[in-house]
Amino acid sequence: MFVYEKKLQYPVNIKTPNPKLAKMIMSQFGGPDGELGASLRYLSQRFTMPLPELKATLTDIGTEELSHLEMIGAILYQLTKGLSEKEIKDAGFSDYFVDHTLGIYPGSASGVPFTAAYIQSKGDAITDLHEDLAAEQKARTTYDNILRFADDPDVKDAIRFLRAREVVHYQRFGENLRILTDKLDSKNFYAFNPEFDKKCFKNQMKNK
Amino acid sequence: MTEREIMMKKLSSYQFTIDDLQLYLDTHPNDEKTIEKLNETIAEFTPLKDKFESLYGPLTADENSQNRWCWIKAPWPWETEEVE
Repeated sequence: MFVYEKKLQYPVNIKTPNPKLAKMIMSQFGGPDGELGASLRYLSQRFTMPLPELKATLTDIGTEELSHLEMIGAILYQLTKGLSEKEIKDAGFSDYFVDHTLGIYPGSASGVPFTAAYIQSKGDAITDLHEDLAAEQKARTTYDNILRFADDPDVKDAIRFLRAREVVHYQRFGENLRILTDKLDSKNFYAFNPEFDKKCFKNQMKNK
Repeated sequence: MTEREIMMKKLSSYQFTIDDLQLYLDTHPNDEKTIEKLNETIAEFTPLKDKFESLYGPLTADENSQNRWCWIKAPWPWETEEVE
């Protein structure tokens, strides 16, 4: 189960609204490499993972991604709070406004609504861990791209925290892959699906 | 920053240390030094959290200690506080 805690993982205190910047950061809410996709990906994949370390990592990172989703939501809310019609028009925010007013909606910077097609749960631990490693790097690049355009120090501070977490998660997933392959046949890791062909673990035991 | 924000920031940094150590332990479950560090951090975090909740209201819905429902009271974490 999940228990909600009434605090952000890292504080978000933005003093100056900036709808242009909100439009870019929106992608990390519901875009192709965003936090919603990240949490759904890991929290879906974890059920069939073959080792306890992998189940724990996916559960904990998947949960952390939900708190990142909340941080991004807070950034978007604070960047668009109390805007006037003129400010909305001048910032080119009117297209978003027509569809969502100032509500926070999961979509990409280019306006594509969130879709589960952004993620995969393949039922093969090697495949899924490679997807997860790639996902962390894609999110890291997106944060790097956002940082190119963000000049508000309050926004940059929170974005830099989120970017650093992608790097830590990448490290943890790398360790997951090593923990998994250490238990497989080193001659050919890809001869079996470690989630479906249970005998690939048994073979390894026999060799020991 | 308000007194509440200063205390929340401290609380968040302890919580973050706890979360990051826990994640590290998922792939290093036999690292005794990290477990020790985790327990130390939790021991420092818990009284601070209790103090925060007694001053500013519950962080989780099951921590209601008064005879009225404090959970619905602001501020919510995405809201910025007005400068006092």
